[in-house]
Amino acid sequence: MSMEDYDYLFKIVLIGNAGVGKTCLVRRFTQGLFPPGQGATIGVDFMIKTVEIKGEKVKLQIWDTAGQERFRSITQSYYRSANALILTYDITCEDSFRCLPEWLREIEQYANNQVVTILVGNKIDLAEKREVLRQRAEDFAEAQSMLYLETSAKESDNVEKLFLDLACELIREAKQNKLDNNDTAPMPGEGKTISYLSCCSLN
Amino acid sequence: MADSGQSSVKRCESGSVSSVNMETISALTELEDLERVYQQLCAEEKEVEAELDRLVGQEGSIHTKMLALQRMGPDLQLVGGDASQLSGMITFTCSLAENVSRKVRQLDVAKTRLYNVIQRADDILDLKFCTDGVQTALRNEDYEQAAVHIHRYLSLDQSVIELSRQGEESSAVDASLVLLQEAEQKLKVIVAEKLDEAVAAVNLAQVERFFKIFPLLGLHQQGLARFGQYLCSQLGSKAEENLLLATGGDLGEKRALLVFADTLTLLLEGIARVVETHQPIVETYYVDKFIQQRGYHNKFQIVQSSMMKSMPGERIEPRELDPVLTEVTLMNARAELYLRFLRRRIMADFEVGDAHSITQEHQQNVEKLLKHCLLSRMMQELIGYYIPMEEYYMRESVNKAVAMDTYEKGQLTSSMVDDCFYIVKKCISRALSSSSIDCLCAMINHANSLLESDFREVLYNKLRQGFPATTLQDIQRGVSSAVSLMQSSLQQGKFNTLGIESAENAKAAFLVRYTDSCTFTRSHIHTLLLSSRCNMFQGGGSGDQAKIESCLSDLVNTSSKFKDLLQEGLTELNTTAIKPQVKPWISSFLSISHNIEEEEFNDYEANDPWVQQLIVNLEQLMAEFKTALSPVIYDTLTSLMTSLISIEMEKTVFKCSFSRLGGLQFDKELRSLVAYLSTVTTWTIRDKFARLTQMATILNLERVTEILDYWGPNSGPLTWRLTPAEVRQVLALRIDFRSEDIKRLRL
Repeated sequence: MSMEDYDYLFKIVLIGNAGVGKTCLVRRFTQGLFPPGQGATIGVDFMIKTVEIKGEKVKLQIWDTAGQERFRSITQSYYRSANALILTYDITCEDSFRCLPEWLREIEQYANNQVVTILVGNKIDLAEKREVLRQRAEDFAEAQSMLYLETSAKESDNVEKLFLDLACELIREAKQNKLDNNDTAPMPGEGKTISYLSCCSLN
Repeated sequence: MADSGQSSVKRCESGSVSSVNMETISALTELEDLERVYQQLCAEEKEVEAELDRLVGQEGSIHTKMLALQRMGPDLQLVGGDASQLSGMITFTCSLAENVSRKVRQLDVAKTRLYNVIQRADDILDLKFCTDGVQTALRNEDYEQAAVHIHRYLSLDQSVIELSRQGEESSAVDASLVLLQEAEQKLKVIVAEKLDEAVAAVNLAQVERFFKIFPLLGLHQQGLARFGQYLCSQLGSKAEENLLLATGGDLGEKRALLVFADTLTLLLEGIARVVETHQPIVETYYVDKFIQQRGYHNKFQIVQSSMMKSMPGERIEPRELDPVLTEVTLMNARAELYLRFLRRRIMADFEVGDAHSITQEHQQNVEKLLKHCLLSRMMQELIGYYIPMEEYYMRESVNKAVAMDTYEKGQLTSSMVDDCFYIVKKCISRALSSSSIDCLCAMINHANSLLESDFREVLYNKLRQGFPATTLQDIQRGVSSAVSLMQSSLQQGKFNTLGIESAENAKAAFLVRYTDSCTFTRSHIHTLLLSSRCNMFQGGGSGDQAKIESCLSDLVNTSSKFKDLLQEGLTELNTTAIKPQVKPWISSFLSISHNIEEEEFNDYEANDPWVQQLIVNLEQLMAEFKTALSPVIYDTLTSLMTSLISIEMEKTVFKCSFSRLGGLQFDKELRSLVAYLSTVTTWTIRDKFARLTQMATILNLERVTEILDYWGPNSGPLTWRLTPAEVRQVLALRIDFRSEDIKRLRL
């Protein structure tokens, strides 16, 4: 990872049923707008936003995937390199919630096992049409050990929080990993070789 | 005085100036007050007098003015008479003008009516002419002429016709009208029938002929629909024909593998041709454009559904998938080409049609139409099927290549590496050839994950498996010939150890080869992209490009992971293959006494006891690697080896004891060794031998205290790598230095 203009680079992939508002969440976060009448995404879209968290520049590569079934094989190819997955559903659409286990299976199958997954219930501005109770979603997220957040891309509720929280979590994990790596797997190099030469010398 | 007093009172009553009135005066009782009021009244009286004087002075001028006015009287009477005369004249002129204009208006109305009459007479004549014309034309089967007549009739003003029917000639007009309406109906039926017939007979000329008649009869929509239907059915049947040909054809033929793509290509080319040829007609005769194209897309379904059926069944042998995959990408590329063609056409039409109304909205609509039309959806689905199959193909092929791995002598890499990169490159190129950015990105991702996880693991395991065997060989060899490796045994050993070593080396080598390949693949893709960029990236392509860039950068990251693996592998190789050999060579230094006098020193001068042999041994050892490894890797390995040597040397030196001349001897030996190693590596090795060189310096000292000439403030450019404790330790190696002197040193 080059250190040109950022301290961290994270890949975030948004997944979830068609029409739950993935593109709108990304647009809201990266461009600050809510495009009404947003058409279905074709394949995969890609946006970048650099944020600063505690003085560290974090470059977020956000991959917005098409929810429609026929693009599944394209979107699946992005899971593995993702640092975080935002699994989105629509709180006014029971169906999109019921499909979550299916999405979790996809994650299980394709994503790497260190991936951070966050469950997002979008469209809370349509509170009167709510079909999935908050408690239910929270329970589900907890059972799957995921973070949970409810957002509104339209009203810009929690959108910023969603991405920034995620970035914080990713930084935390990255730092943790660095520590772990330093402890267990020494970089092949002069310093370490000495000790390991002496310990396995035969005569 | 009484007069002025009255006037003063009057003014008081009118409420203007005087602040004193009679009542207040009579109410006053004090002399002071009365005096004050009196003063006040006196002042007022003076004022009034002055004003009266001024008014009297004006009387003269007013009088003169009155006289002048009286003189003007007769003049004014004269003017009054003139004015009334003028008004009479104006009134007269006005009425005259009104009279004239009324007459002009009447004339105009008369003229308009006359025109209307002429128009109506013309219409009636036309109508009669049409009636006659239609009948003759129908009789002569001259449908175009008949249609022209009907068109003329339809373009007549309906109200005029209604009016003429109310006139005296109503019966005659009625009759012709009825005739015309009948003719119109008849013509419509006939034209529709004829068109259907022509369609059924696949007579393009006839179809076009009747197709042109429809708009004349005011049936734009119907005509367009029928024409579109015709084109669809024609394409459909053609497609079906081709399909039949495709499925019925001899599958042994070479092209049989590509029939579906060929069929689609034919179909699309056909459509493109049809659009091209019929567009002028459609545009000339019809206002609405391109509706029929939506109709086309239904037809693709026939072809594509059969495609789809043929595909999922073939998940057996990757090699069998190969042609299908090529076909799909070809189909997608064709479809993309077709969509681009449509987009260009529509845009061109917009520009021709109305340059002002090409709004963003229009373009967005077109984009939407093209992106969401059936064809796009079908192609997206096809690509959706393609990607897992391509991935499967890639994975299986790579597994096969790994399983069939062979190492040929003289090759820097094993077959597996070459094969794998060939496969990966092929798959990515194929995905690229589909012209679908998403498809390409997805395949790059898959390739990346395959290389990074699976392939890396394979290499890693091979490296791990390889080394114990090598070590075993080394131990065997160490037992059989302890002192040195003679030329013959080396050659024998080559078959055993070198075989394995080389394989390992090769594995290490191909890691670098991988890095090269990766960069190669990347640049390869870049070139391909550049060539197709102008086509692929039309319209907002920067996002697409960023996508590809990002996916490619992942691939580059993977290559750096391979570099790490390589480094690990080399370290491993160094520890297990080089170290066991080098170590005894260096330990033999112990058997050469460095506690020597002049005579032995001269003897060593003549017959080198140790360093020359070490250099020869090292040369032989490294020669093996040099042939088997790529230069970059060889360099890294030698670097590792020099580090190893310096460490081993240091340990060995600490076990020896030296005389003054022995120290000199060691210094000489070290210089030869460093000089030799400098020639075999491109790295600078002085640094690695810094500690040893400093040890040699210490061993060369005349007296213990001489160290102070080099230490601390006297060190000059020299940076000591030895700690004070180590310096003392080295000094202690000299048998002629007294330990008290060493202890006394202040370092």
